[in-house]
Amino acid sequence: MRLLLIEDDDILGEGLRDFLSADGHSVDWCRTLREVSGYHGEPYDALLVDWQLPDGSGLDWLRGRRLNRDATPALMLTARDLLSDRIRGLDSGADDYLVKPFAPEELLARLRAVCRRSAGSAAGRLSFGEVDIDLAGRSAWRAGQRVALTAREWAVLEALVLRAGRIVPKDDVERLVVGFDSELASNAIEVHIFGLRRKLGREIIETVRGLGYRVGKPR
Amino acid sequence: MNPLPSIQARLARALLVWSLVWSLAVALAVWLAVQQQVEDLLDESLQSAAELLKAPLMAEDATLPAESGGPDAAGSSDLADDADSGFAWQVVQYSPADAADVLFNSATAPTVAWRLAPTTGFSDGAGWRVFGTRLADDGRFLYVGQTRDERSEVQIEVALSVAAATLSIGLLAHFWLRARVRYELLPVQRLAERLAAHDPIADGGSLGVAECEELQPMHAAIDTLAARLAHRLAQERAFTAHAAHALRTPLAGIDAQLAVALRESPPALQPRLQRVRSAAGRLQRVVSALLTLFRSGVELRRQTIDPAALVTRLAIDGLTVELAETQAISADPDLLAAALLNLLDNALRNGAQRLVLSTPGRGCLRLHDDGTGVAPERLQQLQAAISAQTYEGNTGLGLMLADLIARAHGGQLVLPLVEGGFAVELQLG
Repeated sequence: MRLLLIEDDDILGEGLRDFLSADGHSVDWCRTLREVSGYHGEPYDALLVDWQLPDGSGLDWLRGRRLNRDATPALMLTARDLLSDRIRGLDSGADDYLVKPFAPEELLARLRAVCRRSAGSAAGRLSFGEVDIDLAGRSAWRAGQRVALTAREWAVLEALVLRAGRIVPKDDVERLVVGFDSELASNAIEVHIFGLRRKLGREIIETVRGLGYRVGKPR
Repeated sequence: MNPLPSIQARLARALLVWSLVWSLAVALAVWLAVQQQVEDLLDESLQSAAELLKAPLMAEDATLPAESGGPDAAGSSDLADDADSGFAWQVVQYSPADAADVLFNSATAPTVAWRLAPTTGFSDGAGWRVFGTRLADDGRFLYVGQTRDERSEVQIEVALSVAAATLSIGLLAHFWLRARVRYELLPVQRLAERLAAHDPIADGGSLGVAECEELQPMHAAIDTLAARLAHRLAQERAFTAHAAHALRTPLAGIDAQLAVALRESPPALQPRLQRVRSAAGRLQRVVSALLTLFRSGVELRRQTIDPAALVTRLAIDGLTVELAETQAISADPDLLAAALLNLLDNALRNGAQRLVLSTPGRGCLRLHDDGTGVAPERLQQLQAAISAQTYEGNTGLGLMLADLIARAHGGQLVLPLVEGGFAVELQLG
């Protein structure tokens, strides 16, 4: 998953970035809202937002994104644990609310749960016809047989599955897969899509000509 | 405890005393004022009686015997019937030889002349008040008399009547004033009721408009106090929020860094890092409990809690928590979680591997672990320190926090003597 982490504390931010990266996610870490503005328009699978930031409120920033019809799953990470704060956080557009201190493993599990629900399923394993996908276990099965995917193939599949039912432009897929600072070869995404179709079946990913790719909603 | 002095009772007592004093004073004043009037009235009635008697006596003069020796002679006449009139009378004949013979007299009059010399008008003597008048020019005089005792009796009757009347008025006034005092003190009672329901923080600090002028200073003082409290609370909340941020964020950072370090470290180093992470976890629990406790000092948010669900939330590595028969309990979930986390942490540090959680009674949560436990004497010391709230140097932070949280719920922490391990009961009121 490509994640935007907004956290001003160096020790926590670095720890979370490294922990999430070690779990195979691409993390863009910003310490301030000013830094975040540099990532404007970038697609993310989820947002991890601290409430209190040096140059403003993470909650207000998130509320602004929601007003702009941005539905990217978001988790509030905050030291504010009052019931009223939790309610305010969730009512302002956060999909989940994690009070510091928390274990990074719990953050990861909540992240998966939020993204899973965003993809349209509460179950751990998503089913697309004869293909089953376990986002937490990073595993895929076709007709009950486990299918081995490369890291990049998995990243492409995850980006599409987390937006199941929606058309994802090729550029977005590319940026979701490699992050902000890296680049892919011009036809790399097509190559990975081809590989996925070969392993999971042609019908798993639909090409919407001129617009992008789409994975159907899980059942 | 001695009952507090009551304004109402003191005013009632004062009013009663004043009513009695006032009544008696008024009665005395009235009696003194009317005493002479009563004397005059009695004299007038004496004189009137003499005038009334005089006419028939002069008319009967011809028929009456020339001499009469005693009351029997008068007894034959209607004029002698003075039993109910309260007067006695004599007809006295004065002779030139200075003799005074009683010709006729009423039954209650003495047979000896009241006056040895002819006397007209009022005179006193020998226990009688006498009014004399000349009957005829032949030296006969009519005397109508009334005993001093009888006159005193009338005076006393009048005095008593006046006293009774003023006392009645005084007592009526007393009861009316007493009811009035109670009525006038009702705003104080209503102020107490308003205060009992008043939340100076939620209501913006103001108690509202006073019911009467006398209560206005009290309202102003309470509003000032509420404003000070609100200011102090706001400061404490701000401090707690800052402290929470300052403590929670680095703790989360430490845990995240340790989680990464655990993944990246060589296997030989991992147990040591795991121990550091466990210690950091314990530190997190204590800090969270302290922050929760400080923050929740103002308000308690009771909810019905399922102990089973709570235990699921509070899993601690290395300690298996089992549920015995449990029933839902009413408690503040955050505070209870903080207390339980510290008790579970205590159990783990005292060698427990298994802990049984049960609800032996209403509002009571019991934790019994299989750890090393403590000797009965030490248990007594701990219980005494908890009961007296003398935690410092006597109990650990976990027991202190758990007891403070139990007390915030209206209960306290109890350490029952058990065979094997250590048990605590969180009695939550």
